[in-house]
Parts: sequence; C-alpha cells; structure tokens
Amino acid sequence: MTSMEARPERVLDAVERGEATVGSRPDEVVIGISPAFGDFFTKTIVGIPHSEVLRELLAGVEEQGVQARVIRYRSGSDLAVIAHSAARLSGSGIGVGVLSRGTTMIHQKDLVRLSNLELFPQAPLLDPETFRKVGRNAARYAKAESPEPVPARNDYMARPRWQAKAALLHIKETEFVTPDAPPVELDVRIRLADAG
Amino acid sequence: MPRRSSSTSGSGWPTPVDAVTLLVGVDIGNSTTEACLAELGPDGPRYLGGALAPTSGVKGTAENVPGVVKVVQEALSATGSAQHEVAAVLVNEATPVISGLAMETITETVITESTMIGHNPDTPAGAGLGTGTTVAFTELGSCGPGEHVICVVGAGVDFEDAAVGIAAARDRGVEVTGAVVQADDANLIVNRLPAPIPVVDEVTLIGKVPLGMPAAVEVAEPGRTVRTLSNSYGLATLFDLDPDQTRLVAPVARALVGNRSAVVVRTPSGDIADRRIPAGTLTLIGEHARLSVGVDAGADEIMATLRRVAPLADATGEAGTHVGGMLATVRDAMADTLSDTAEEQDVHIQDVLAVDTFVPQLVTGALAGEFALENAVALAAMVRTSRAPMEALADQLRSALDVDVHVGGVEADMAVLGALTTPGTERPLAVLDLGGGSTDAALATGHGEVRSVHLAGAGDLVTKLIDSELGLDNREVAEDIKKSPLAKAESFFHVRMEDGTARFFDEPLPAEAFARVVVLGEEGMRPVPTRYSLEQVRQVRRSAKHKVFVVNALRALERVAPGGNLREIGFVVVLGGSALDFEIPDMIAEAVAGAGIVCGTGNVRGCEGPRNAVATGLVDDHTGRAR
Repeated sequence: MTSMEARPERVLDAVERGEATVGSRPDEVVIGISPAFGDFFTKTIVGIPHSEVLRELLAGVEEQGVQARVIRYRSGSDLAVIAHSAARLSGSGIGVGVLSRGTTMIHQKDLVRLSNLELFPQAPLLDPETFRKVGRNAARYAKAESPEPVPARNDYMARPRWQAKAALLHIKETEFVTPDAPPVELDVRIRLADAG
Repeated sequence: MPRRSSSTSGSGWPTPVDAVTLLVGVDIGNSTTEACLAELGPDGPRYLGGALAPTSGVKGTAENVPGVVKVVQEALSATGSAQHEVAAVLVNEATPVISGLAMETITETVITESTMIGHNPDTPAGAGLGTGTTVAFTELGSCGPGEHVICVVGAGVDFEDAAVGIAAARDRGVEVTGAVVQADDANLIVNRLPAPIPVVDEVTLIGKVPLGMPAAVEVAEPGRTVRTLSNSYGLATLFDLDPDQTRLVAPVARALVGNRSAVVVRTPSGDIADRRIPAGTLTLIGEHARLSVGVDAGADEIMATLRRVAPLADATGEAGTHVGGMLATVRDAMADTLSDTAEEQDVHIQDVLAVDTFVPQLVTGALAGEFALENAVALAAMVRTSRAPMEALADQLRSALDVDVHVGGVEADMAVLGALTTPGTERPLAVLDLGGGSTDAALATGHGEVRSVHLAGAGDLVTKLIDSELGLDNREVAEDIKKSPLAKAESFFHVRMEDGTARFFDEPLPAEAFARVVVLGEEGMRPVPTRYSLEQVRQVRRSAKHKVFVVNALRALERVAPGGNLREIGFVVVLGGSALDFEIPDMIAEAVAGAGIVCGTGNVRGCEGPRNAVATGLVDDHTGRAR
C-alpha cells in the first residue's frame, strides 16, 4: 500500500452530532480535525485525500484494539490547540490533531499546550503509512505502552518548496474559524466513491 | 593556615623544620586521581581535606602530571592553603593496568525453507488454531468448497478488501481457517469478518511463505502463549508425523515457546537449527601447564580451565578471532605505554574473566525479522607491569609543583592503610577495590603482611554486558542504566519506581519521558530508548553486575585469603568508584555473608566514603615512618 495510485477513491462523510463531550472510556483516542478538514479542503498539501488520512489514523488506532472518536475543532486553526483540545476531550488523555494541509501532532492532556508527545511538522512528507503509524502510536500511548516515536522524516528542501503554499492553505483554513464555537462530535463514514 | 613552630614539628622530619607542615598524598588511579591534604602535628597527621580529578593519560606515566597538579591545587585551595606550605607530595607506586574486552557470539539460529514464523507481532488477531494448505489471497477464488486453507495476504492488499475476500470465500464453503498478513492489519481484518479466525500479521517477507503446503496458524488469547505449535506432539498430531519426523520438528516447537502467535509450514525438508559458531580457541599458559579451550565451550569451561593452569602466566587467542585480536591489542597497548622507559619488558596477560551472556540477533532465514537471543561469551583481560616509569613522573612533578616529591608505597599496602581509617575495622582486613577495568584485592594479616591480587573485569565489562544484552548499541545509555535506578513514567506527574512505589512531582515531567522507562540519574530523568520493560532492563542490569562483581569479589578474596579460606578474613572494605554504586556493595555483602565476614563500603577517615583510601594511606604511612 505504498502508492496513492493503487488506492480506490474513497469519500469521507462526516455528520455533526452536537457538541463534543469529555469521554469517559480509558481506551479511547480522540482525533481532532481542523475547521475545514474534509469540508472545504478534501486533500493535504501533497494531494492525499482527507478520507485516506482519517481512514489510516482510525485504522492505526483500531488495530491496537483501542476506540477512536473524531471531533471537529472550530474556533481555531492552530495545530497545538486542536491536538490539545482533542486530548482534553479524550478519556485516555491522548489526542491527535490534524490540519487540512496534513500537519499532525499527538498530544496529552497534562502537557502544556505548546508541548507535545510527537509532532510531524513537515506536511509534504506525510504519507498514508505515516498516518497509520501515528494512529498506532497514539493508541499505544493510550494503553500506557512505550511506543517508539514514529520516525520523523526531514527534508530541508520542504520548507522553501512548500512554505508559500502552506501559508496560503493556512490563511484559507483560518477563514473557516468560527470564534467561540465549541468542538463538535463527528460521525465519520468512509466509503468507496463508486459505491454510491 | 597558621604555621606551627619548629618545636612541635616531628623530630627526624626531613624538611626544614620551621618552614612548612603540609603533606599531600596523591593516588593516581586508572580513571581518577585523588589527593589527601594533611597537616602534621605532634600526635600524627590532621587531615584537612581531599580532592579528586580525572587521571590524565595512562596511569603510571609522565602524562599524569597535569592531573596531579590539578588535584593538588584543588586540595590546597579548598582548605585555603598556599602551595609553599607543602612540605612534600607523596605519590603511590602506580603501575599501569590496561584491560580489554571482547565478545564472541557462539550460537546462531537458522530457519530453512521458511518453515516457521515465530515473531511476536504486537497485535495478532482472533484466537485459536487454524490448519490448511497455504493459498495466496489472489488465488482464494479458485479454491473449492470444503477445502481447508490458510490465506496468505501479500503486500498491497487493503484490509477491507482482504476481509471481503475471505468472507466471500467462506460464504462459498471454503474453510479459510487462518491467515498470514504482510501489513499490520490483523485486527482490522478480523473485525470485519462475520466470524473471527486466527491471523498473524507483520510478516515482512511474506513472498517467501511457501504456497500449497500444509500449515497451521495459532493465536493465543491476550496474556497467554501458543499451546499446540510449541508442543512437538501437537505438531505431530497436526501434520501426522512419524516418530523420526517428530524428532526433526522438535526444534521448531521449542523455538515457538513463549510466543503469543505462530505459524508453522510443513515443507519437505524445512528445519530450524541451533548452530554453534566456531569462535576460536583461547590458550591459557600457566606456570606449569598450558591448556587450550574453545571459546564456544562457554564461560564456565573457560574459568575451569583457568583454575587448572593457575597461576596464569600468559594467555593467547587464536589469530583472526575477536578474542585473539583483543588479547593482542591489550598487549600492544601496554607495550606502547612502556616504550618510553629504557628497559625492554615482556608483557603478559595476567588475568582473564569469561562471562556467559546473550545477544539479540536476527534469525537467519526468518520471514518476519525474528530475533533470537543467541549465546555469547564476553572476555575481559588485563595486563599489569611491576615496573613503571615513575621516576620520570616524579621529576616532572617536582619541577611543575616546585616541592619535594616522594614516590613510594605499594598501592595495595596503601589502600589497606587507608581502609583501616574506616571506623570499626581492624586487621585482618581485606580491601576490595572495584574499578573500571580491574578488580583488585589486598589482605593485611595480623602481622602486617599484605597480599594482593589484580583481576580482569569490572565496571566497563558490566556496561558492555548491559549494552549488548539489551541491544542498545549506545555505551552512554548503558552506563546510565548501570549507575542509577529505573522507573516508568506513568503520567506527567508520577513515575513508578522499580521497587513498585510511586513518586509524584509538582512540575510536569519532560514530554520525552512520558510513557518511557527512565533512568533516575543525578542530572535528572533520562529516557531509555528500549522496547524492553522496566523489569527486563532491571534483570539484565542486576545479572550483569552479579556476573562480574560478585564473581570477581569471591575470586579475589579466595586468592588473598590464607589457604583460600574466606573465614580467615575478618573485615572486607569495599573501595573504588564502583563501590559508590547503589547495589553492588550490597550484592557482595550478601555473597560473603555466609563466611561470617563483616563486609561494607569503606568510609575512609570516617568522612570520605570509599574514595581517597590510597591517598590517605600514603600520608599515614609517611608520617608513621617519620615519627
């Protein structure tokens, strides 16, 4: 499952289910998505469909036997804030935040906002396999295991090459911020595009 | 510092009487140089303080001068004394000790024809046992109803597609009883099946799984291990084996013991073998005998051979092996050290310590990157000379410090004298000096006679064992693990210590410590990059210390005890850097408790702990002779 070409196209259906509440299950990971994720935007900065990003994150969590909930953070487009809010809503205290352009972070509720457990800052380098591993590690933190951090790739050319696009995407994402709106719970269904 | 009048200075003291009254004893050790500053009074020396600095260069060579100068000046400034007040600097007869370490892996596990997959994926799925013929996922459609198959899901198959395909085959009546998967997808597939089947995943080299062969997949419930595939008769029942064939598959069963999941494929000549690797021989030359022993015979055999040739005069290893190389390196290093002295000296290996250990190694022929703990033998060896270029060192020191420098006092004698300043000790007293490269012991009998012995293997070997047994490949981390207790960071505000108690913090722990096994060192908490649990790391640490220090302490004490009888030793004082360890002195005390020995960490002059014994002994000896 390495190339995107081999993957059938999938559609992300996200239905809002009211204001997100704090979970009570100790075996859950909350995935927080940014205001325009899977909505105005449908793919990351390098064209990975958001349905694929979320599917891999969820699969990574499920493979570890851990539950996942998805919320949409609406009142900001800052990754640390989104990930930290997800962590604070999570019964295990572990949350994952992901921006529309693909930047991802694993957070824990007791950490200060600007800190994190694992950060994947270079969105252009994140492929579906990495999202699977992020989901897996988040679940393993929730199980109080000691996962080895997902190897963070680094490409010093990524910044000059993608910075302008990333800035534009960020400005656009920020336009979808609704000040003071609480995070909402999402019912997520990912289905094959041709299946209806 | 007030100057004393000439009348109070001891008579017969060689320095001008009304000038200076301070003495500095300096002990040049393998890794640290220690000083002890004392003021001379009519009733013997009054100790003012000490200092400690890293040794510069190889012990016993002129390179030590900067280290000695530093430590003397530190001792003086710590007590507010001036250099011109020093009457003499006393330096021990430091003899260079060079030690070396080597490791040879002596077993390897080889799997032929991809007979088995015995790795432990974190998350296999389903539970139970499935048997059938191995069939590729893409060929599942051509299987007929009633056929028992094990589905082999290769790379690139999505978990949803795999689940749909397996479910469809089962609907057609194909008995898909288990699956082997390349990706980490086992639970994802099983969660999407109408009825669960055992699935083993993360089999990286899935293309090598033989197809069309009878096979079995077993997954145990969480917290349990496989029962059928790890039992030779279980395999015999499944594959209908005769007694001869059962004998052949026994190693397969043994290799799977303790796994939560396993796959066994029955191929015509598939096998798993535990092979011993020839690791060369070690020749131990005693004063009367010369014996060779194969390194692959293990540590016990090597140490038994060493006892048979004792006392050891020299040792050589087979050329081209790690052991041979190590012994040659140690000998060459010593020869280089001594090359600046005019005399030609023969360098001999004086002691060898062999320790059984294990190394995690990739299994040859494995499909899923299985590791096996292979046996290995670690060897420490040391050379020591009786003559060192001490006069050159003394000359340079004299000009550097501009004071009188006396070289004298056998190190072991001085250590005993220093150790005797520990409150509650008397002769007969044995000193155990646990250093980095060697373990030294000396015994002072009631009549003032001192016997000493120097053995290979100490702190450095412990670090190496921890490093290799945990597969860290990082000496610094291994050193950390050796020195401090462990804990597991369970939340950002508390850790669980290795003894099970919880410790809370007001400030959150660093993010990189979260959920990890950490070392509680002096500089704070340091995460250990390992997949082993706290309990396993602790076990490795303790057994490494036991294998080196307890074994060497007993070996050393037996060698110095009269008639080899430990009961003749009254007191054992543990000294040296490793005596500061948080558990080694206790382990040794426990080991010798049976012989009725009082054993403990030294407390030189009642205040220095296990440090400064030789430096203190030098001052004590000098003033004793002066009076």
